[in-house]
Amino acid sequence: MPRYELNVNGKPTTVDVQPNTLLLDVLRDHLDLTGTKYGCGEGQCGSCTVLLDGKARKSCLVAVSQVGQQPVETVEGLQRDGKLHPLQEAFLKHGAFQCGYCTPGMLMAAKALLSETPKPTRDQARRAMNGNLCRCGAYGRILDAILEAAEGGSRA
Amino acid sequence: MAAFWTRFWKRRKGARVPESPHLTDGLAQARKSAYRQETEFARELYHHHDLPLYRFSVTRRALWQALGAGFLLTVSLPLSGQQEDAVAEPSPGKRLSARFLFQADAPLRVLTGKIEMGQGARTLLSQAVAEELRLPVDALQMVMGDTALCPDDGGTWASLTSPQTVPAMRAAAAFARELLLDLAASHLGESKPALRLTATGVAGASRTVLYPELAAMAANATPPATAEVTPAAEWKTLGQSVPTLDGQAIVCGAKRYASDLKLPGMQHGWMVRGPHYNSKLAVLREGPKLPEGVGVVRDGDFLGVVAPTRELAAAAAASLRPIWRGVSLLPESRLHEEFRETAREPVAQPGARYPGLITRGDPLNAFWSSPRRLESKYSLPYIAHVPLETRSAVAEWKYGQVTIHYGCQAPFLVRQEVAEAMGIPELQVRIIAQDSGSAFGGKQRGEIAVEAARLARDAGAPVKLTWNREEEFTASYFRPAGLLEVRSGADEAGRLRAWEFHNYNSGASGIACHYDIPHAWCGYHPARSPLRQGSYRSLAAVANTFARELHMEEWADILKEDPIAFRIRHTADQRLKDVLRRGADAFGWGRAVRMAGVAQGVACNLEKDARLALFIEIQVLGAEVKLRRALMAFDAGAALNPHQLRNQIQGAVAQGIGGALFEKVDYLDTRIRNARLSRYRVPRFGDVPDVEVLLIDRREIPAAGAGEAPITVVAPAIAAAIHRASGHWLRDLPLLPALDRIVNPPPPAADGPKA
Ligand code: FES
Ligand code: FES
Repeated sequence: MPRYELNVNGKPTTVDVQPNTLLLDVLRDHLDLTGTKYGCGEGQCGSCTVLLDGKARKSCLVAVSQVGQQPVETVEGLQRDGKLHPLQEAFLKHGAFQCGYCTPGMLMAAKALLSETPKPTRDQARRAMNGNLCRCGAYGRILDAILEAAEGGSRA
Repeated sequence: MAAFWTRFWKRRKGARVPESPHLTDGLAQARKSAYRQETEFARELYHHHDLPLYRFSVTRRALWQALGAGFLLTVSLPLSGQQEDAVAEPSPGKRLSARFLFQADAPLRVLTGKIEMGQGARTLLSQAVAEELRLPVDALQMVMGDTALCPDDGGTWASLTSPQTVPAMRAAAAFARELLLDLAASHLGESKPALRLTATGVAGASRTVLYPELAAMAANATPPATAEVTPAAEWKTLGQSVPTLDGQAIVCGAKRYASDLKLPGMQHGWMVRGPHYNSKLAVLREGPKLPEGVGVVRDGDFLGVVAPTRELAAAAAASLRPIWRGVSLLPESRLHEEFRETAREPVAQPGARYPGLITRGDPLNAFWSSPRRLESKYSLPYIAHVPLETRSAVAEWKYGQVTIHYGCQAPFLVRQEVAEAMGIPELQVRIIAQDSGSAFGGKQRGEIAVEAARLARDAGAPVKLTWNREEEFTASYFRPAGLLEVRSGADEAGRLRAWEFHNYNSGASGIACHYDIPHAWCGYHPARSPLRQGSYRSLAAVANTFARELHMEEWADILKEDPIAFRIRHTADQRLKDVLRRGADAFGWGRAVRMAGVAQGVACNLEKDARLALFIEIQVLGAEVKLRRALMAFDAGAALNPHQLRNQIQGAVAQGIGGALFEKVDYLDTRIRNARLSRYRVPRFGDVPDVEVLLIDRREIPAAGAGEAPITVVAPAIAAAIHRASGHWLRDLPLLPALDRIVNPPPPAADGPKA
């Protein structure tokens, strides 16, 4: 089986898997990074969103062979030195979840949004996040949290 | 009243603890220190609970058990007052138990049969217990939905946690508090008011007595004469916006759902299903040889694969060569006819939670003698729950007993289902309900638990099975479709006097007409359904409220009256009037922006002791509907956790938008045609407006559940607004396709159905 050298959350990692294995499955089943979730397998729900070279990607649509040297960031890598990322803080503060299943994907998509548009308007954020589903319907709070992190967050 | 039964077990020192698969993981594993002791108590509890030695009273029972590291107190209460009427049909024996595990070296554990699926039960129940024990919420740990440890609360649904479990938990915790304080007072020789509970013992002025020390005295304890719950005015924890307890784990991606579990030696399962709804396995042809370590399980129509990895399982499943037979489903165009033809007459079931027939006065005569009459028909389709976490279960057999981790809503019912399917006694099945990535009524049954158990039995190893999105649609059940026929009559002055309401197939919940109409007949006709159907958030109250509220809107329109004034004129309920009036003010009712196609709509409900009204402003442009803003005025009695309540309300509105505007299961011939998210639309950021919540907190009124009621008013409020904006009455859900059929009628001679 081919071996892939990945850079996940700043750490070099190797996995032995078939080339068409999905990044989502590599993260969850092989690296035990289960924060990244499965929701649809067809790019519709955003539960599996990770950052690939800083850009938000649906990991259910990415084969491990396509990753190469691009750094992969998952929700598990958001904290720095035991400190929560401003987005995480803001999600907590606004209670921007119920069951929490969509949260990791939301955080990653929001991080990508803020790195491109550091101060989005509410409508911009709404549009940018449209690919991420929250079945519990915490949409309003998620927007509140993103806008708050945009205000105060230097690392976002 | 406050007497109890007590039983004291001496810890059997040196007694051998045989391996029991029921107890080797889960709770016991979670805490290493008290492992032995817990293992032992847990087993005893399992075999002996509800066998009291002493009987002091029949109203409340307590089990009292000493352990090396702590003790367990079980208080069992009858459901009283309003709760008794509200008991759900599946509830066992109208009692609720609370179990507390007091320890010296670990947080106080509260064991409950309720589960957490995002509705905040974990936080809310912690608040309830903490309030009565006068402890901070984080001094407690909730152990939820483990059938081997937790009392059977009858499942988590129907918004019963607030009105039913919280009061029971509070009463039980107050009882525990008084009992412990009494014991400590005599142990320490101090007066009771000087004492307080801490996480590990009872603190007096001079010293603290640890819980295990008190356990020995428990055998001869006299139960406290009274155990008052804390009055609302003195609440410190309840009524506060306590944040979700596992929020930190959630934002770090560390919260483990069933789909995230990994057991040692775990294999991966994969179900092989035919393309048809209800596929039957005709033949399994010889296929290519399977790789080492991959097994196939075939049992009748059941066909599954077990492999060391998910990729291998999927590949092996794809290499099998089954031939499936399908049966044509009743065409959708005939659905309503079928409902009517197979309908049974409604039956009154006095005392049932959702009686199928409610009548008053003489509705038939009143209708025909009314000078003004209105008849309308409403319908709604099958829709899917679409929990974001697809079902997932991990099953493991040991010594003929199976343990299943599954994020289900009703662990005890699932246990029953698995036991029946596997042909083993229920006591040999343990369900550990994992917190669920949402459920909405969809995870009450145990299909996947049965499948995982079946695969694991042959595999001889723990097996994890996770459904893909398509299976969520095809292998489970839907929210029932329904047909509703309403006719009503008013007198010359425009006052409603007759109301006849027929619900075919969708259900009885929320069928009663709460408006002041002297003659009414409301009946639910069970009928035959081509698709499997079951619970959905708020059950049939969505269907019944849609028909009732839209019908009210139609009357207001006929009478040229403001819909809010019309409703207020037809209710004596002061709280309902309040939510309508105060909500209208806060929303700016009647002051919609002046733009083409913009209009406002309203709907209200009186449900499960909650009163609520939704105000919405929309814009209709051609066949498009944009929701601009919304406000929910909500009075659910005491707001036990205002922040969470708002969250639930906003979430339910968001979910309701899907059913109102576009959700519909599409089926043709033998198949479900839209069993994936790219074909089945659910509400997204762009579909959901900001929802303001006007919370009316009435501390003096017991809390009603709020996870469900808000979803009921969404569709009628939007339909009302669409009518005011466009003049079209849309009486069939979902509304967008209905609007499209009017705005863009299909050309008369078009070939084939419109896409
Ligand atoms: S699982 Fe990748 S988008 Fe849904
Ligand atoms: S919080 Fe449950 S799906 Fe978003």
